[in-house]
Amino acid sequence: MARIQSPPILSQIRVARSYSEQTVALRALKDEVIGHVQRKEKWIENGILESLVKTLQNPPVHHIPPRDHAVEVTPLSEKDVVRLQSLQLLASFANGGPSFLGPLHAVGAIPTILSHISPPENPPQVILTALRALSNIADATRLAPPGQDDITVLSNQLFTHQHISSLWRIMIQNSHDMVIQEQKCVVASLISRLCKGPEHQNMLAEHGIIDALARMLATIVVSRGEVVPGAEIIGRSDGLAEYIPEPAPLGISLALVLEAISTVIADSRFRACALLSSPFIMAVFPSADFSPPAKETKAAWSVLEMSGMSSHRAKIPGAMDYLLPIVPITQHRSLSSQFPHFPPLGFSPSRESLVLGRQSSMPKFTGWDPNRLDSASLSGDAEANDPESPLVPWLINLVRSTDGLERVMAASVLASLFKAGFTNPEREAALGQLVVPLLCLLIAEHDNEITPAALNSAFIEQETALDWAILERTPEVLARLVADSEYLQQAAHDCGVMKVVYKLLRESYEPMMVQSAPRPWSPSPDHDAEIREGLPTCRIGSPGQLPIYAHKVKMRESTLKLIAGMVTFKDEYRKELADQEMVPCIVESLSASPQKPRSAKDQPKADKMAEDTDRPIKDSQYGVNPDSVIIAACHVIRILGRSVSNLRTALEDHGVAMPIFRLLRHPVAEVQISACGAVCNLVTSSSPMREPLLAAGVLKVLCEHAHSLNPGLRLNSMWALKSLVNAVENNLKKQALEELESGWLVQLICDDTEDEALHTRMRLERRNPNDEDEDMDTETMDDGSRPTLSPSSHPGSQFMFVANPREPLRLQRAKRKVATLREAELNPTRKARNDDLAIQEQGLNFIRNLIGLPSMPAQMAEMVDYIFNELGQDRLFEILASKLKVKVLHAYGRKFSANNSGVAAVPDPRVLYPQAKVIEAVVYVLVHIAASIPQHRQLVIAQTELLKLLGGHLNSLDMDVRRALCHLSTNLAYQEDDADAHACQQRAMELRKLGFLAKLEGLEQSDVDLDVRERAKAAVWQLKSTP
Amino acid sequence: MSSGNANLDLAGFDLDSSVQLRDFIFAQFAEDLGRMTSSTSTATPLKHAFEARVVDVKSPKSDINALILDYLTMEGYPKAAAKFSKEANLRPQQDGPLITARQEIKDAILNGNIEVAITALNELEPEILDKDPKLHFSLLRLQLVELIRQCNGGDITPALDFATKKLAPRAAMNQDFLKDLEKTMALLIFPHDNLAPELGALLRSDLRQTTATKVNEAILERQARRREAAIRQLVRMRAWAETSARSKKKDLPDRIELGLFGEDGDYHENGHEPMITT
Repeated sequence: MARIQSPPILSQIRVARSYSEQTVALRALKDEVIGHVQRKEKWIENGILESLVKTLQNPPVHHIPPRDHAVEVTPLSEKDVVRLQSLQLLASFANGGPSFLGPLHAVGAIPTILSHISPPENPPQVILTALRALSNIADATRLAPPGQDDITVLSNQLFTHQHISSLWRIMIQNSHDMVIQEQKCVVASLISRLCKGPEHQNMLAEHGIIDALARMLATIVVSRGEVVPGAEIIGRSDGLAEYIPEPAPLGISLALVLEAISTVIADSRFRACALLSSPFIMAVFPSADFSPPAKETKAAWSVLEMSGMSSHRAKIPGAMDYLLPIVPITQHRSLSSQFPHFPPLGFSPSRESLVLGRQSSMPKFTGWDPNRLDSASLSGDAEANDPESPLVPWLINLVRSTDGLERVMAASVLASLFKAGFTNPEREAALGQLVVPLLCLLIAEHDNEITPAALNSAFIEQETALDWAILERTPEVLARLVADSEYLQQAAHDCGVMKVVYKLLRESYEPMMVQSAPRPWSPSPDHDAEIREGLPTCRIGSPGQLPIYAHKVKMRESTLKLIAGMVTFKDEYRKELADQEMVPCIVESLSASPQKPRSAKDQPKADKMAEDTDRPIKDSQYGVNPDSVIIAACHVIRILGRSVSNLRTALEDHGVAMPIFRLLRHPVAEVQISACGAVCNLVTSSSPMREPLLAAGVLKVLCEHAHSLNPGLRLNSMWALKSLVNAVENNLKKQALEELESGWLVQLICDDTEDEALHTRMRLERRNPNDEDEDMDTETMDDGSRPTLSPSSHPGSQFMFVANPREPLRLQRAKRKVATLREAELNPTRKARNDDLAIQEQGLNFIRNLIGLPSMPAQMAEMVDYIFNELGQDRLFEILASKLKVKVLHAYGRKFSANNSGVAAVPDPRVLYPQAKVIEAVVYVLVHIAASIPQHRQLVIAQTELLKLLGGHLNSLDMDVRRALCHLSTNLAYQEDDADAHACQQRAMELRKLGFLAKLEGLEQSDVDLDVRERAKAAVWQLKSTP
Repeated sequence: MSSGNANLDLAGFDLDSSVQLRDFIFAQFAEDLGRMTSSTSTATPLKHAFEARVVDVKSPKSDINALILDYLTMEGYPKAAAKFSKEANLRPQQDGPLITARQEIKDAILNGNIEVAITALNELEPEILDKDPKLHFSLLRLQLVELIRQCNGGDITPALDFATKKLAPRAAMNQDFLKDLEKTMALLIFPHDNLAPELGALLRSDLRQTTATKVNEAILERQARRREAAIRQLVRMRAWAETSARSKKKDLPDRIELGLFGEDGDYHENGHEPMITT
C-alpha cells in the first residue's frame, strides 16, 4: 500500500498504456483512499476527480443486449473493470461527506454516473456501483450545510425521461442474482429519498414505476406465502394468472419497497389507484370469498354481526380479513363527509390546505367539493363501490406482524390508501384499534437517549440510525393517517402519543454544543491551515452538518406535522397543546434561524421587535430551519388560530403575529402561501393580533399578493382579506378596496384567469410547429400542462393506464378507472377551473364582508353605496347574474387527437355550469345588500332577471344554496318601518310572482335538512305577513 | 454467543455422508446450548406431556437442509456448501466465488495478513470500510498489533510510523479509538512475556478471531442483509423460550433434549425417524 500520496498513481491513471495498467493504478488508489478522509481531500486537491470522470467518459462499450429482462452476470471486460473501479472511487469520494459535493458537482460527476445506470448497455456490477455512488451523493447532500442541501438538484437530474426508463428497466429485471437484487434495493431507496412533490411523483407514475414497485411487492407477497388462497384459480379464469410473479429472491428489502411505494403514491387518489390496479397486485390479491377452515372464526364474526357491533360489509370477509382480529365497531360515525375533501379530485395543495384553514367562526363550510364539478367526466367514481383490495387487510396484518421500519412503511402505504378512500369505511375502526396504537408505541419505543458519541460524530451507530429513521418517519405517517378523522385522532390521543411528541419537539430545540464533527488529527498540521482555494473541481467545501443536526431539524418537521394533524378537530387538543407550553417551539419554527424558545413572559417588547426583524441566517446551536419546517409551523399556527381562546391567549402571548407577518415576504412562494393561510385566522375580528398586523401593513402585503400570478397565493390572500374586512370600520374597508383596486376585484370575480392563461399557453404550443412528439413530451410534462397522455417510446408505456383490448377485462376496467382519476387529478383545465372558482368565491365573500353586518345599518348602507359606486351598480348585478348562468368558454379544438387511448381529450366547446359554492357566495352578497336600507332592497328586487335565475336555484341540490336563498327571501320581505310598508308589499308581490313563495313552502314542508326547513318557515312567514 | 467458538474447518470436509456433517454441526450447537440452559438433572423416567407434543411436531426435511446450507454459506465454507446444495437439491444461496472471497478475507485476517485482507475487502465490497469507521479502525489496530508483534524487541519505527499515519488521525475523532490506540501502543513499551491481562489479550489470537468475525458479518450484512446464520438465531430462541418458560413455571420436563442426535433422545423408542436421512 502506498504510504504517501504518490503522483505516480495519478499519472498512471491518466496516461495508462493499457486497461490493465489503469486498473492496477485505480485499485491502488482505492486502497489508498477508502476510509481515509484526509487522503481523499489531498487527492481531490490534486485533481483526481477530473481524471476519474475522464476515464468514465470514454464511450461505453455496447454490449449485446442479453435476453429480455433475464440478466446473467458475466465476467467483466477489461474496459468495464476500469469503469467499475472508477465508479467505486467516485462512490468512495462521495462517502467523504458534504465537503466533497462541490468538487463532485464541478467535475460533472452526476451526469457521468447517470450515463452508467442503464441496462443492458452496462454490466450489472457497473450499474450497481453507479447507483451506489448516486446514493452516497444523496446521503452527503442531506448533510450539506443549509442552503446547499437542496436534494432536488440531484432529483431533477435523475428524474428525466431517459433515466426513469433506466430505473424502470432495472426494477423489472428478472434474476436471482444478488447484484440485481441489490440494484433494485438501491433504486427503491433512491426513489424514497429523491422523489419530492407531485411533479416527481406523477412523472414516476407515468413511467410505470408504480407498477414496477408493485411487482416487487408482489414477489415478496409470494415469497412470504401470503397470496390470497385461490388466487391462481381466479387468475386462470380472469386471465391475470400470468401476473402472479415468482417468489422474491433473497435480499429484497420489504421496508425499502414499501417506502418507495408510499413515497410515490402519497397524497393522490390517482397514484393510489395505480398501485391497486397494478396487474401484479390484482393477481396476488384478488377479492375472493373465503371460508376459513376453522368454524370458530366465522362464528365469532357472526356473533359480532348479530350484536350490532359489526357492519353489513363484514358478512363476506376475504381470506386476509381472517388474519386480523375482529374489531367491534361501537360508535356510529359518518365517514362520508370526510372523503370528498380529498385533494386529488383537482385540488392544488394550496387549496386543500386552505380548506383546512377555514375559520370556526364562519358558517359551516365544507370546502370546495369538486365532486359537484363536471360530474359527468368523473364517471370513474361510479365504480367507487368496487370491493376493497385485500392489500388493505394484508398491510394491516403487516403492521401488526412486523417491527421497525417495515411497520412504519406498511402503515405509510396504508395511510395513503385510507386517505384516498380505497378502504372500506369500517376500516377506520381497525386502523384506530390495530394500527394507530402500534405506531404510537413505535415512537415511544425508539425514543431512546441519544448517546454522547452520536452528539458530535459524523458516524452514527446502526442502532441509533435506525431509531432516528423511525422517529423521523413515524409521526409524519401518523399525521397523514389521523388528519381527516376525529376518531383516529382520539385513538392516537388515548395512546398518549402527544406527550411523546411534545417531548420530541422540545428536545429538538435543545441547544447543540458541537457545531461540526471533530477533524481528524494530522501528523502534518500545516495542511489543515492551508486556505482552501484553487479550481472549483479541486476545492474542498465546508464540512456540512452533523447528522444530529439533520435529525433534529427533521424531527421538528415531523412532529409539527403530527401536531397539526392531531388538532384539526378538537378544541381541547388545541388547548392542551397551548397548556403544554408548546407554542414557543412552534414560534421558533417560523424562523429560519431559530433561537431559544421563549416563554410568554420572556417575549421581547414591541419596540424590540424591530431589531428582531432580520435575523441573519447563520449556524446557531439551534440549527437552521429549512422551508419545510417553516411551512409545517405555519400550518400549526393556522389550525391553532381556529380556536378563539388560543388566538387571545397563547398565540397572542407568544407574539406569533410578527414572525408570520415577516413570512408573507418570504422569497419562496410556498412559504408565502402557508403564511397567508395562517394570517387568515390571525386577522379575524376575534383576534387581538389584527391591530398589530394592520399597523405593520398587512393590508398592503395581502393586496399585493392578491395580484400575484400564483393562483394559490391569490386565493389565500383573498381569503385573508375577506377575514380582514369583516367587522372593521368603513374607512379601513374602503382603504382595502382601494388598495386591492376595484377593477382587479371585478377581474378576480369575473374572469376565469387561470383558465385563460392555460388556454393561451396551449394555443401558443399549438402554434409551435416543432412541438411534436418527443420534444413536446418532455417540455410539457414539466409544467404539468399536458392534458392527456400519449403512449411514448418508453418501454413502460404498456403500463401507462391505457386499457388494451387484448388484456384481461378486469385489468382493462382497472386501467380505465386509473385513467379517469388521472384525468381528474392532472388535467390542467380542471385544475385551472378549480383555482378560478375558489378565487371567485373568496372574491364574492370579500364583497359580502365589505358590506358588513346589519347591526350597524348606517355603515352598511354607506358601504353598499360605496361598492356600487366603485364597481358600478349595474356592472355588479350583471356579474352576479353571470355567475348563476351556464357559461360557454372559448371553443378551442382538441389538441390531442383521440388515439384510442380511452383517455378523454379536452371536450369542446367547454360548457361551465354554475357551481354551488359560487352561487352561495352570490346569494349572500345579495342577502347583505338586502339587509341594508329599504332603498337597497328595492334595487335588488328590481333585478328581475337575476331573481329569476335565483328562483331556479331554490331547487339546488346544495343545502347551503337553499338556505342562503331562504335568508334572501326573508330579508327582501322585511319591512323596515311604516314608510317602507308599500314598497315592502311590492317586494313580496314580486317574490310571489317569481314563484318564490310556492317553492319556499315546498322547502318548509319537505326539505331533508332541518335548518333549511326552519329558514324556509321564517321566510314564508315573512312573505305571508306582508299583506 | 460469538461465532468464534464455532469455527469449524469444513473447507476440506469429506462430504460422503451428510448425516455425518449434520452431527458435526449440531454437536457444535449442542455445546453452545448446553452452556445456555441450566438444567442438568437426569431425564425423568415418565414421559412428559411436553415430549408427546414434541413428537407430534414434524420438521420438514427440506427446512432442515435449507438451514444447513444457510449455515455453510454464511459461515463461509464454499466447497461444503456447493456439495451440499447439489446433494440436497437446493439452489445455492450465494455464488461460490463470493463465499470464497469472503473466506479468503477471513483467512487473511486469521493469519495476520491485514493488508491483504483490506485490499481484498476493498475489492469485494468497497463501501464497507468507508461506511464503518469502527470496523476500519479495528482492522488497522489489528495491523498495528501485528506490526508490533513483528518488531518484537527490534526496530519499532514501522509500527510507530503506522500508528502516526493511520491510527492517530482517527483517534482524535473518537474517545474509544483513543483508548484502544493508547492500550495498543503500550505493547511497544512493556515486554511481551509479562503483560497485564488486558494487554496480553491483544496479542492472543482472539483478537484476530473476533475481528475476522466482525468483518465476515459486515460483508454478510451488505450482501444478504443478515449478519449470521439462521441457526444461530434459532438456537438463541430455543434457549430464550426455555428460560422464559421455566421462569414462568410452565409445566416442562426437567431436561429437554435437543433431539439432534438420534441416539440420545427418545425418538427411536417412539419409532420417529431421524430428522434427516439422505
